[in-house]
Amino acid sequence: MEMEAQENTVQQKLSGNNMIEMIKVSRSYPPDIQALKDISFSVETGEMFFLIGRSGAGKTTLLKLICNMEMPTNGLIEVAGYNINSLKGKDLALLRQRIGVAYQDFKLLNDRTVAENIAIAMEVSYKKQRAIKQRVRDLLDQLQLTSKHDLLTGELSRGEQQRVTLARSVANSPRLILVDEPTGNLDSTTTEKVMDLLTRSNKAGATIVIATHDASIYENSNKRIMELRDGMIHSLVRGNTI
Amino acid sequence: MNFWFAVIRQTGRNLRQTWSSQVMTFLTVSLSVLIFAFFSLIYTNMIGAGDRLTDDLSLIVYLEDEPGEAMKEQLRRKILNFDEVEELRFISREEAYERFAKQLGENSDVLLDMPTDFLPASIEIVPLKSLRGYSQIKLFSEYLTSLPGTEKVQYGQEWIERFYHFVRLLTIVVILSGTLLILTATFMVAYTIRLTILGRQDELELLKLVGATNSYIQTPFLIEGILQGLMGSVIGLIALYGLFQWISTRFTGPGILNLFQFDFFSPLILIAIVLASISLCAFGSYTSIRKFLQI
Repeated sequence: MEMEAQENTVQQKLSGNNMIEMIKVSRSYPPDIQALKDISFSVETGEMFFLIGRSGAGKTTLLKLICNMEMPTNGLIEVAGYNINSLKGKDLALLRQRIGVAYQDFKLLNDRTVAENIAIAMEVSYKKQRAIKQRVRDLLDQLQLTSKHDLLTGELSRGEQQRVTLARSVANSPRLILVDEPTGNLDSTTTEKVMDLLTRSNKAGATIVIATHDASIYENSNKRIMELRDGMIHSLVRGNTI
Repeated sequence: MNFWFAVIRQTGRNLRQTWSSQVMTFLTVSLSVLIFAFFSLIYTNMIGAGDRLTDDLSLIVYLEDEPGEAMKEQLRRKILNFDEVEELRFISREEAYERFAKQLGENSDVLLDMPTDFLPASIEIVPLKSLRGYSQIKLFSEYLTSLPGTEKVQYGQEWIERFYHFVRLLTIVVILSGTLLILTATFMVAYTIRLTILGRQDELELLKLVGATNSYIQTPFLIEGILQGLMGSVIGLIALYGLFQWISTRFTGPGILNLFQFDFFSPLILIAIVLASISLCAFGSYTSIRKFLQI
């Protein structure tokens, strides 16, 4: 009962106005590396948001801060109205179940099959086995990986691994999806499939933040694009205007 | 899918992934339980034998002279002043002679030339059952020796003294082996769980990132410890029972073991050993979780 009530609260907050709020956020690493400095922006619920910049600009660090993989040195980060850095235990776990992340380094379990890797995101929220199997099949179908269902992820190419990571990030139908370089190892046809999947999730109500340096996926869009340079916001504009 | 299904599946994965160290830990726990339970079994049986031994215990106070009625009353008062007794009986020289003759049976004619008062008068004292500890008996005997007119006090002290020394030695062995084996088993379980945690660091990190709760991540490791404790103790006790049966069969007939009634543990003790083993292994597992599973 208590868990259900907590889940409902998270759900309500996830449907609020701003999905992400960042106010004067900085992140530095010892000895004196300033990865991010005074970052302030917000992402609306249901928005698709692009984060661009060269390698080392701070895109990945920013995504890690949003999903609480790392803590900011300064500043406030709110996700769905929660100060994500003050959340602990069950509250943090419940919020994380609602955030799907496709990591740049994939974070796949190489001794598990493709299906098991995707299922893991749904297992932690105790989805029914039948529903998990069906969802895994659908996602693999959408990403043209049906034949890889029972292969170990260690046996896949980098492009295939990237798609499995993406499938895992959207599997639990999260309200916020963070994607780090989703098309880095893909050809144009597969890139299109990947973007289709993300667009479908976005249309279904998910807020999506995509960190990329692949201009082909945002240059013709009318979505907001934020460029980072040397850990600072260089520009924040709507697409087609850059 | 519910919580327990997920947790049990995860436990199965842990066991499969680190099966070789799991087997080693399982054997260590079994062996520890076997050794500890073996010494405990001997110990409890010795204590039982000690109790049975003291059931027939009586102290004989040999007196220098035959006491008169007044003296008898004085001695009785003095003895009862020290402690209550179950039975106190004066044996006169004649009575002692008759008893001795009876004991000699057909050979009683060797006493024909002896005067009927050549044996000393004595007092036979049966102490209370609750006061039959070795130190209490020794204290009582010293008191009786100090009474005026007492020549000697006998109660088979040498035998009892040796027996109680042996029991004391066995107590030390049980405590030491218990402590060492408890530490070994707990450490082994903690070490195995640590290996599992370190071996699955990537997966645990991922589980945290996709929103697994602390109990979802920690419970399988705790179950692993509990399983080690349960399986280890059950197998250890089965092995001990086998050993007990073998000894019982092998040493039937006249022999030292037949001096004692040798019993196996009662079901209550068996359950207590299994529960203690489970608790210790769960504790070992818990310490590793606390130390190495930062959530």
